[in-house]
Amino acid sequence: MMQSAPLNYRRLVIWIGRLLLGAIFIYAGCSKIFYPNQLFQSWLLAKFSIRANFSNFANQVDSYKLLPDWGVYFVSRFLPPAEILLGLLLLIGWRLRIWASIITGILFGFITVVTRAYLLGLKIDCGCFGKPEPLTGWTVLRDSGLLLLALAMTVLAFQEARKPHPWSATPAQEQPS
Amino acid sequence: MNRRFILASSATMVFAALGAFLLLAAPATQKSSGKSAVKSANAAGSSAAAQTIITVDGVKDIDPDKALGSKNAGVVMETFTDFQCPACKQLYTTTLQRVTDNYVDNNKIYLVHRDFPLPMHAYSRVAASYARAACHIGKCEVVEQALFSNQEKWEMNGDVKGTVAAAISPADMKKVQALVDSGSLEPLIDRDKQIGQSVPINQTPTTIIHTRDGQTYPVVGFVSYDVLKTLLDQLVK
Repeated sequence: MMQSAPLNYRRLVIWIGRLLLGAIFIYAGCSKIFYPNQLFQSWLLAKFSIRANFSNFANQVDSYKLLPDWGVYFVSRFLPPAEILLGLLLLIGWRLRIWASIITGILFGFITVVTRAYLLGLKIDCGCFGKPEPLTGWTVLRDSGLLLLALAMTVLAFQEARKPHPWSATPAQEQPS
Repeated sequence: MNRRFILASSATMVFAALGAFLLLAAPATQKSSGKSAVKSANAAGSSAAAQTIITVDGVKDIDPDKALGSKNAGVVMETFTDFQCPACKQLYTTTLQRVTDNYVDNNKIYLVHRDFPLPMHAYSRVAASYARAACHIGKCEVVEQALFSNQEKWEMNGDVKGTVAAAISPADMKKVQALVDSGSLEPLIDRDKQIGQSVPINQTPTTIIHTRDGQTYPVVGFVSYDVLKTLLDQLVK
């Protein structure tokens, strides 16, 4: 019977990355869709609330002064659900390398635009979560930390797939002695 | 499908469901009550300032010089803004302009502008003082427009006075400056702020829509005109 491999640093980093980044992505997506407006007493109000939240996020995306109107619309509608989906997939761990790579790419995009805005001295909200948060050096530092974690998780996930621990390797992956 | 996958999926679903529940179950705490804060603000306000205060459709402590439209409109819309906040600028220059054109000017909405200067913004209180003074000499719209439109300039150098002076005549500027220097309108700004804190306002801009039947609808953050219109059309029927 196949056994699970013991926890080593590689698997530990992957697990931390999955749990932390998965949870952050799910929260980021949910907060953009469901915060700050929470009028859910009726279908009309719920629809209004969610549209207002998307509108709020679109304004934050627009404040980076990077995208045309259609780009702002696309990002503001597409990004929050994508964050939730990617966060869930990361937590599930199925096809981890694909989702970890995509998340690393997205975080690389985030750090690029956030750093650009910081260096340009734009006084804007970061738009990272539903609640407004001024873009500061701390935002750049935090996003850099998350990018490093995502990068480490992705690299180690690829390594793990190429050279799995002998205990968890399938017979086809085991090297003949 | 292996057992690990099923376990991980189940844990994720439980986590997601819990997160969604926490988000959805959070009470909408932004319904305005704030009677105690208003009382204390009233006590703090000067008698000259207190005389100008009115109540419309149950919404108390309105400075009529900072409001637009008919007092008989069925809906009162209170907007809490900070002159130095980028989202407030966006709301004012896009959404509120169209709300004014399509609802306020047609006597469907009474629009009340509340000041909510945030401590994190160095010049927002000064800007609120100048705007309030301008409103009291009948130059509200032109000065508020100038402050929001030139926000990026004066927030860099703090030249609020210069921005206001460029928007009105020298004679009007003298009157505005005298009002600002006297400090007689400061209690009105403090009152707005205390009303906002009692709501509580967690971010600017926040708009609270009051209907005649006593319902309140807080709208937090920037909202585009097209989205806001879907709610307003239901409320002004």
